[in-house]
Amino acid sequence: MPSNKVARAPKIGRKTTKVSEAVDELEEWRKGKQLLKPKDQLELSEAELKEIIAKQLSTTNAQSPDNLVEFSYAQGAFMSMPPPGNTVVVYETIGTALHKDTEEAKFQLLEQGIDPSTYGVSDDEEEEEAKPEPPQKPAEGEAEGEAAEQDDENKEEEADDDVSRVEKPDDEGEGEGEGDAEPETKVETSKAPPKGGKPRKLTNQFNFCERAALTYNNPTRSQETQTVPPPMATFSANVLQWVIYDGYQKDFEAQQLEKELERERKEKEKAPVSKHQPQRKTPGRSQLSEAVQGRVLECWRVLERMINQNTYDDIAKDYRYWDDPSDEFREDEGTLLPLWKFTYDRTKKNTITDLEWNPYYYDLFAVCFGFLDFMKPTPEGAVCMFTLKNPSFPDYICMTESGVMCVDTHPRYPYMVVVGLYDGSVQVFNVYANCKEPAFRSNNVTNKHKGIIWEVKWAPDLPDGELNFFSVAADGKINNWVLMQNELSVTTIITLYLDKETVPGPDGTQLRVKGCASCVKLHPKNPLIYLVGTEEGQIYKCSTAYSSMFLLTYNAHQMPIARIDFNKYNTDIFISCSGDWRIKIWEDNRLEPLFVFDVGDRVGDVKWAPYSSTVFAAVTTEGKVYVFDLNVNKYKPICVQAIVSKRRNKLTRLSFNPKLPILIVGDDKGCVTTLKLSPNLRIPCKAPKKQQHLDQWTLQCMKLDKLLSLVREPVNLTLPEDTAESEDS
Amino acid sequence: MADGEAKEQKEEPKKIVHTYPLIRHSDMTEEIKTESMELVVTACEKFSANNEAAAKMIKEEMDKKFGPPFHVVVGEDFGFEISYECSNLLYMFFGGNLAICIWKC
Repeated sequence: MPSNKVARAPKIGRKTTKVSEAVDELEEWRKGKQLLKPKDQLELSEAELKEIIAKQLSTTNAQSPDNLVEFSYAQGAFMSMPPPGNTVVVYETIGTALHKDTEEAKFQLLEQGIDPSTYGVSDDEEEEEAKPEPPQKPAEGEAEGEAAEQDDENKEEEADDDVSRVEKPDDEGEGEGEGDAEPETKVETSKAPPKGGKPRKLTNQFNFCERAALTYNNPTRSQETQTVPPPMATFSANVLQWVIYDGYQKDFEAQQLEKELERERKEKEKAPVSKHQPQRKTPGRSQLSEAVQGRVLECWRVLERMINQNTYDDIAKDYRYWDDPSDEFREDEGTLLPLWKFTYDRTKKNTITDLEWNPYYYDLFAVCFGFLDFMKPTPEGAVCMFTLKNPSFPDYICMTESGVMCVDTHPRYPYMVVVGLYDGSVQVFNVYANCKEPAFRSNNVTNKHKGIIWEVKWAPDLPDGELNFFSVAADGKINNWVLMQNELSVTTIITLYLDKETVPGPDGTQLRVKGCASCVKLHPKNPLIYLVGTEEGQIYKCSTAYSSMFLLTYNAHQMPIARIDFNKYNTDIFISCSGDWRIKIWEDNRLEPLFVFDVGDRVGDVKWAPYSSTVFAAVTTEGKVYVFDLNVNKYKPICVQAIVSKRRNKLTRLSFNPKLPILIVGDDKGCVTTLKLSPNLRIPCKAPKKQQHLDQWTLQCMKLDKLLSLVREPVNLTLPEDTAESEDS
Repeated sequence: MADGEAKEQKEEPKKIVHTYPLIRHSDMTEEIKTESMELVVTACEKFSANNEAAAKMIKEEMDKKFGPPFHVVVGEDFGFEISYECSNLLYMFFGGNLAICIWKC
């Protein structure tokens, strides 16, 4: 302890020096600072500042009431209350500490199994050890200090000492006493065990019971996996204004092309003739096997074409390039160059009864196989469609039970082919969909012609889009057939009653004699008008508007009329041919023919050329083809050529290709021959020097008009003025 | 750029400057592609004068719709070489002079 005191002194000194230094620093700092004063601070003089105002503190609480009364209801008067005193409770808390001597403390100690006496002793001893020392020190100090002061009081001091000595033994005695007391308490405690024995835990809300258990730790094991990173790719481009511009241009072009293709596709949907891709029709609507078959078929077709191209290479070159060089030295005459021949094995015994170029594909043509020698009917007929690209085999074959006499292809839907049969029924084939079965067929019992159908012709579509066609037959009726949803509905347009007396029929009835229609031709411009040729040799000009009368009757020929054809340039002009060896050219409303040609044999067919207004061709049964050009020679043909041998074969039909300078002729042995027209047979019109601007069409019309004006006779010879009118017409 | 276009038009007056959205390259699925294209059109029309804002809008929308992180470039002249997560690239032109490249990586 003394050492502590010694050590403490310098410390304090140091502290004070530090404090003084700090004060100096504060002063210095204050000097630099301008003290802020509130504005309303009182200004005091020096004297006032120095005045000391004394403050007195007293124990009396000035605020406590000193004369408190309370009304007592019991007494019925105010009673004076005792003064509340000066105690002010600032803070009050109730502790849980207990004095160890209290009953409760003892009880608690017992409860905890502690002997209250031992509990107390340990405390007391500490107290006693602590207690005696401090008094000794002052006592010593006093003794030392006081010994020098006063001797007088020595006795007293001795007495005091005695007292203290007396007291000390007392203390010791107490300690002993306490020590003596121990056994007593031990006795008590020995008695106590049955009471409190083992330490019992106090039950209260803060007494928790702790329990713990350690579960088995699962052994850890590390496992790693790595996912596949998402697929990445790199892309690079350069953006420049011209790149963007070009991109747009390209895309726009592609779009235009797409639109065009779309339009074409739509058109094709309307008029699809799958000539080049016939396999398309199969995979679209049937099973895989058929699709595969179709693909194989397509491959075969390509191969077939390639082989054909090689086989007929020289013919193909002739067709393309060979023009008869001798034409230059022959004036007004031409030749025909035979090219391919088309046959089909199954129809070799049939006669070709009709030929027609497809209106959509210029290299495709339909051929009818029937028979004209009615003494020897053939059991079956067919319509075959050949293409010039494949002379060996037809592209489409539609077999029928009876001979096919005529055919027509729809100009807008070139896959719709109507055929007229020998037995008087009509059939419509959709060659695109199915060649084996007709899409439509007339009922063999109820609605059919009672004679050979000599010609069928598609009519312009009805206003609501239904297809319809006309048919003329040997029973003297002209029927109009409309393709309904799944049947053909028929209307008889006209019955060709002859202008003759009725003949007596069976059972005394009278029958009107009917003519046998043998050919029909629709007017190219006026859909109402049509011409009918009959086996009696008349040509009737009829209108669909009148079902019982003819607009005009031409007594044209003495034998059945084989064909009527309108001129391609002037629709008032038409040509007819007949079995009476004659070809006649007629003008509308003029009962006399303009031209008459005699070719010396039955004429099977006559057609105007599509490229010239004055050229027409005819075939005769003796196997010759006649080509006329009225502009060159009004009296003789410019080309007569025997195509087949006279004794064995007969030519039956012919047809000009609408685009190429070739014509096809059919014979009675089922063979179609292609002929190329030499340059002299297809001379284009030369425009006069003054009228260079005129196109070919106008020139052709002019050429024909000029020619016609030479041969026209005035309708009425007595009236010269009418000449001009008739010329105008 | 507008000048350049005008020049082009003067030189070839019959040529039309197309402005429709034109996808140059994309490996997105059809659905996402269409949606993204529409978003690009909307953004570029909304911020026709501010490519940055347009790009920001496209990026934020794409992040929201298809999950981040998308990157968007909108500009008239630039070059780029990028690595992208497959089926998350759209490179298109719009408005006749803008190229937009959207990719996720």
